[in-house]
Amino acid sequence: MIKVNNLVKVFSGRGKPVRAVDNVSTQVSKGEVVVIIGPSGSGKSTFLRCLNGLEAFDDGQVIIDGVDLGDSKTNINTVRREVGMVFQHFNLFPHKTVLENVTLAQRVVRKRKAAEADEKAMALLTKVGIAEKAHEYPSRLSGGQQQRVAIARALAMDPKVMLFDEPTSALDPEMVGEVLDVMQQLAREGMTMAVVTHEMGFAREVAHRVMFMDAGKILEDAPPMAFFTAPKEPRAQTFLKQVL
Amino acid sequence: MPLKRHPTQWPWHGLLALILLSLAAGLWVATKRVNYEWRWERVPQYFFYQAEDAQSAPVAGTITQIRPDGARSRVDITPANGDQAVSVTVETDTLKVKVGETVAESNDIGAQRHWKIGPLTWGLWVTIWISFVSGFIGLFIGLITGLCRLSPNPTLRGLAVFYIELIRGTPLLVQIFIFYFFIGTVLNLDRIVAGIGALALFVGAYTAEIIRAGIQSIAKGQSEAARSLGMTAAQTMTHIVLPQALKRVLPPLAGQFISLIKDSSLVSVIAITDLTKSGREIITSSFATFEIWFTVALLYLVVTSLLSQLLFWLERRFARSD
Repeated sequence: MIKVNNLVKVFSGRGKPVRAVDNVSTQVSKGEVVVIIGPSGSGKSTFLRCLNGLEAFDDGQVIIDGVDLGDSKTNINTVRREVGMVFQHFNLFPHKTVLENVTLAQRVVRKRKAAEADEKAMALLTKVGIAEKAHEYPSRLSGGQQQRVAIARALAMDPKVMLFDEPTSALDPEMVGEVLDVMQQLAREGMTMAVVTHEMGFAREVAHRVMFMDAGKILEDAPPMAFFTAPKEPRAQTFLKQVL
Repeated sequence: MPLKRHPTQWPWHGLLALILLSLAAGLWVATKRVNYEWRWERVPQYFFYQAEDAQSAPVAGTITQIRPDGARSRVDITPANGDQAVSVTVETDTLKVKVGETVAESNDIGAQRHWKIGPLTWGLWVTIWISFVSGFIGLFIGLITGLCRLSPNPTLRGLAVFYIELIRGTPLLVQIFIFYFFIGTVLNLDRIVAGIGALALFVGAYTAEIIRAGIQSIAKGQSEAARSLGMTAAQTMTHIVLPQALKRVLPPLAGQFISLIKDSSLVSVIAITDLTKSGREIITSSFATFEIWFTVALLYLVVTSLLSQLLFWLERRFARSD
């Protein structure tokens, strides 16, 4: 489903250029849940953002469901509607109600009729447990509720892949659970997911594979049992010692 | 003793009143010293006045009847050849004929009075509509220019920067002259069109910068979220970024528009009879210089403060989703 070959992303701001993603190759098959962990600044978010072209990568190849993102013939917008993304800071549209947040892209991008989009949106809002807030503005919702709306908004496009960029990092601790529950349910339903997170419990229980990134490279890629009990890399060992 | 105290306010309000009163007193003394004679009673007629229209006999004949009709009178004139009587209505106090008199065609019978709009009202109207039209066009220009200013295309960006710098770096008065005497002559433009064009270009440059700032103030996450849903750059702009940006820049845009109403007084230099030009014209006939200028200032003040109130109300309405 996702295929990455020799991906390179260089940030060349002031000072010397930083290779945020340094020659990464991996793949994620259909229905697989991959959790990416690593210290901050290790390039895991940047790597995730390269997967739907939010970061323009410098070199390498990203192939989503057989479509090469870097190909000049590829329309990036048609790829993105197949790849849902959930952000750390939710990024709901504050000037639209919860329902409008979920229906807007359906109508504008998928060209669905209003009734169809509304129906789909309400079904998804019910699924994430927030249907009763459909006509509220996002500012009236708690962080956990907003993030669940953001997940519903991404799912409304019927994506083949879901990317989660630290979806619980900006939440109060008591709201983390409700978001992880939704994600876990998605994983059970067979959604292909790539998740950047610091929730080791989630990684252990839900992930099929755990990738450990540091300095732009994937240092370790193993099933959660193996990774959490016997990490091979010394860098991964110290990281786990600090977070667990 | 609690840290939070409630200091007495009334002495300060009193001081404020005292300062304002002494300002007024100062003005009064100043006009006394130049022996200025106030003639405020001359001002109202420049808002509305009663015009007299002389009424003349449409046919030659004899006045057969005069019937009072309120403050007016109906005068029936029967032609000598025995045709149907023709009636003319005039104000009773202007009546110049009696029953039995014979009148020739187009003889004066009296006058009708009716209310007419005075030059101050007319000038105010011209100021308002010129400001609204040029403000509307300016908003449109500003929107386009603001978007071009942020365009990744160097040509569009360069043109926007050039236009903005050109307008912001030169005085409006000079722009109006250039627009009227140069562009107006080349393109054979009416003075009103030239005035509106100059004002619209002027306000457009400032609006462009306001809109650019508004767009840039919207968090990057908003457009990232929209783009990640597969929306194009244009869809993201129209559905996500612009609505939020416009809401945010409403206060500075309103300020710009209120400035425009005041700046529009400069078009009086190309002989557009706006409020300021009307004021100047009235002074030449009324000699009530101080009164007219104070009245003109007050009229601008009324329009701008009404607009402030309206925009304040709009802002609160838009704050719904916050």
